[in-house]
Amino acid sequence: MSGQQKPLELILARNLLTSIATPAFLVSKDGSLLFYNEAAGALLGVPFEEIGRMSPSEWIETFGPFDTEGDPIEVERLPLTVALRDGRPAHATFTIRSTKGHRHEIAASGMPIISNVHGASGAIVFFWPLDDQEARKLATGRHEAV
Amino acid sequence: MRVRVWGARGSVPAPGPEMNRYGGNTSCVEVTLSTGETLIIDAGTGIRTLGFALPPDLPRINILLTHLHLDHIQGLMFFPPCFRAESTIRIWGPSSPEASLEARIARYISAPLSPVEVRELPCDVSFLDAPASEWELGGARIRAEAVTHRGPTLGFRITDGDTTLCYISDHEPALGAQLHELDPEWISGYNLARDADLLIHDCQYTDDEYPGHEGWGHSRVTDTLTFAKRVGAKRTLLFHHDPLHTDSFLDDLHAAARERWAELGGYPDAIEIAREREELLVGEEVGSAATAAGAVPTTAPARTLR
Repeated sequence: MSGQQKPLELILARNLLTSIATPAFLVSKDGSLLFYNEAAGALLGVPFEEIGRMSPSEWIETFGPFDTEGDPIEVERLPLTVALRDGRPAHATFTIRSTKGHRHEIAASGMPIISNVHGASGAIVFFWPLDDQEARKLATGRHEAV
Repeated sequence: MRVRVWGARGSVPAPGPEMNRYGGNTSCVEVTLSTGETLIIDAGTGIRTLGFALPPDLPRINILLTHLHLDHIQGLMFFPPCFRAESTIRIWGPSSPEASLEARIARYISAPLSPVEVRELPCDVSFLDAPASEWELGGARIRAEAVTHRGPTLGFRITDGDTTLCYISDHEPALGAQLHELDPEWISGYNLARDADLLIHDCQYTDDEYPGHEGWGHSRVTDTLTFAKRVGAKRTLLFHHDPLHTDSFLDDLHAAARERWAELGGYPDAIEIAREREELLVGEEVGSAATAAGAVPTTAPARTLR
C-alpha cells in the first residue's frame, strides 16, 4: 500500500541504506519505521519486505530495545529519539530482540535528516552488533539476508 | 498548451554539422498556456534565440530554473529581454540554505566570468525561491519538487486546465533503486510526473554508456522508459541529449527506445525525442494524438518545426 510520496532526502536515504552492509533503520519524523536494509533484516530476523512499516509502539514491542538487565529502555533515551527531538546525532549501547527470539547487544548511532526545504524529515539509525559472531560476519561482508 | 524546444542538449553546447537536426543548444523550453501567457523553463543557451523570437512588448517573463548547473543558466546573460529596461523578468529556482538564488546566479553573471553584473541589467529582474507548495503563474498551477540529481534540483509539474506537462530535465531516479519494483511513494519525481500528458525527461545515456556515468545525475534509456511507465505518462519526450551524441546516434537511440517501449506494452509513437525549434501541442488541442501508452492513436502526435 503506498502513501504520500516521500521527500527526496528520505528517498535518497533509503537508496543509500539499500546499498550498504551496515545495518540501518530509517524512521519518519514521528519515529515510525519506514525502512530497514538487508543487513538489519539479518540481525532482526525478518526482512523489511515481510514486516513493513511500523509505528513506534509496534517496532519497540517487536524489537525492544532493552538494557543490560533485560528491562525495556524508555523511548526518550533512544538515539533516534534524541536525533529527532534535538536535531543532533546520538549514540547508545543496548540489546535488541530478533523476531526469532535471539538477543543481540548493539551499538546504535542516530542521525537526524534535516531538509533544505521542509526541515526535519526523519532520522537514520546505524547499528553495529557487539556480539562477536555477528560482528565478524558484518566485518567480512558475509552477513546473509534472511 | 504548446511546448517549443529551444535547447535539448545537456552538459555543454554541442554545435556542429553532425548535430544540426537535434541542435546543439542546452536546455530551454517555452510553454505557451491556454491564456496566451508564456513560461520559460531553464535558461540554457537555447534561451538566447528564444529571446529574439519573443514579442518585445511581452509584459512579463517567468523563467523556471530546475537548478543552477551551467547548462541550465548559461543563456541568461545573452537573453535579449534582460537588456531592455521595459522587461519585467521573474526567475524562480531552487532554494538553498547557503545563499539566495540571486547571489548564486550572480556568481556566473559577474567578473571575471561576465562583463556585466546582475545589478547592471537594465530590466526589472527578481529572483524567487520556488515555493514548497503549489502556486499559480499565468493561469497555470505550478508544482516544484526536489528530484534526484547532483545538487539542489527541481522538477516541475505545470497544470493548465486539464492538461499537465511535467519537466524533469536532469534526473537519475534509479540511482541505488530498483525502479520497476519500488512503491510509488519511494520514486523520485513520481508525484510530479503522474499521468502527465507530456513528460519531458532526462535520457542522456544509452544503457551501454550508463555504467561509466552512474551517479552523475542522469538517466539511461531503460530507466527513463521505466519511470515513464511507472508514472503513466501519456507521451514522453527524451531530453538532455549527451553532447557526444550526433544526429545519427540520436536517431538510433530514439528507434531503440520506441522498440523498447513497445516491448513494455506501449504505443511506440508515445516516445518522442526532443529536437531544437520543435513545437508540440499537448492536451485537448491534439485530441487523440495525446495517446495513452498502449492505445492506438488515430493521428500522429502533433509536432512541427520552424
